[in-house]
Amino acid sequence: MNYTLIYSQVTGHIPYLLGGAVLTLQLAVISFLAGWAIGLLNASVLHFGPRPARLAVQGYVTFFINTPLLVQIFFIFFVLPDAGILLSPYAAVAIGMSLNAGAYLTEIQRAGFQSLRREEIDAATAMGFSVPQLVWYVVLPHIAKALYPPLSNQFIIQVMTTSIAAIFAVEELTGRAYNVNSLTFRSLEVFSIVAVIYVLLTLVCSVALALLGRWLFRVKARVF
Amino acid sequence: MWDQILEDAPRFFGPWNLLFLGEALVNTLLLSYIGAALGFMIGFGLAIGRHPRLYGILPVRLAATAYVEVFRRIPFLVKLMCVFFAFQLSGTQATLFTVALVTVVLSAAAFAAEIARAGIEAVPAPQWDAAEAMNFSRWRVLTRVVAPQSWRVVLPPLFGYAVGFIKSTSIASQIGVMELTYAAKILNTRGFSALLCFGTILVLYFLICWPTKRIGERLEARLGRRAKA
Repeated sequence: MNYTLIYSQVTGHIPYLLGGAVLTLQLAVISFLAGWAIGLLNASVLHFGPRPARLAVQGYVTFFINTPLLVQIFFIFFVLPDAGILLSPYAAVAIGMSLNAGAYLTEIQRAGFQSLRREEIDAATAMGFSVPQLVWYVVLPHIAKALYPPLSNQFIIQVMTTSIAAIFAVEELTGRAYNVNSLTFRSLEVFSIVAVIYVLLTLVCSVALALLGRWLFRVKARVF
Repeated sequence: MWDQILEDAPRFFGPWNLLFLGEALVNTLLLSYIGAALGFMIGFGLAIGRHPRLYGILPVRLAATAYVEVFRRIPFLVKLMCVFFAFQLSGTQATLFTVALVTVVLSAAAFAAEIARAGIEAVPAPQWDAAEAMNFSRWRVLTRVVAPQSWRVVLPPLFGYAVGFIKSTSIASQIGVMELTYAAKILNTRGFSALLCFGTILVLYFLICWPTKRIGERLEARLGRRAKA
């Protein structure tokens, strides 16, 4: 092995890479929030909806959980233009990630819905709550604490998943790593630095989410 | 759009393309199953090395913990690139398949270590004390006390993670491993419609992942029931 690692050529690009990390977080937040909304809607349908709607939701979840996100985004990015829908790479990735996260967050929130006692729902129904009111005022406050750890876990997964956006030339952290790589040809140096940035980024997110959970719900989450 | 696809379909599902996709499917299967199996074994080793009452001496524990924490926090694509360039720069002649396989093993080990840790922790403390009181060696504690009880907890989630690695191998198309996603990209470049190419592999991925996931769910239901009874 005759290769010497030279980091000095890459360190100058770290601020540029960190700028990509901002876009990474942005994509993660967008896809997580959209996925959370999809998941909440789907979990409500699975719990309160009619049978055809339930089957449709189950089909959506099974399909998206059992196929790779990368191919889902390829499909959105290359097939929809044939049908006349042109999407920017960023939009295609954001939509793909949201739909994918939506499937996982449906599963997570469905489990939360099932943990609710039947009497609570009966009482709310007796008092004339509509289903959206029931979900928002009765179900969510009850399951928020139990759902917080798996939801924050999913957010961390979203942060890491955004690296797939690089394949579609979105200039987030990994995308910018490709740029720096083609500029300096210090490949291993660039990607090892990016790996460290990802570790730190997700660690910061984990700690922040754990503190937020402690403050909001007194959840004693462990970071490690 | 549909007319063109109907026109394309017989050509797309011709014998040459089916052979091509079949080969890619085999590569995806080998990559994910062999990678996951090897990685899971290493992961179990890491979990055993992390446990203070098994083989967890301090340096080993620190190293294993650092490995697990770091490798679970790096995206698959970035890991793949690191492994790819590390192989390239070390001058070893490794096939692209090997590079992808090593990446899957490295990831699988980190995730399996966490599952195995949960399994080991599921063994109640009095059992450890009893084994210690009877002067069991660490190896006997592991094989006679821990393993028989924790495999029920460890086995079902492994299938879920295996599905995760089948899906991750699609990213190996980035370095040019001949697996399903790369095959679809090549066919797409050859002029077949994107719907046929990517639609077909989506179905193929589903056909691999779904049964794997179902096995895990069935096992979880069965083993869980027996553990309660």
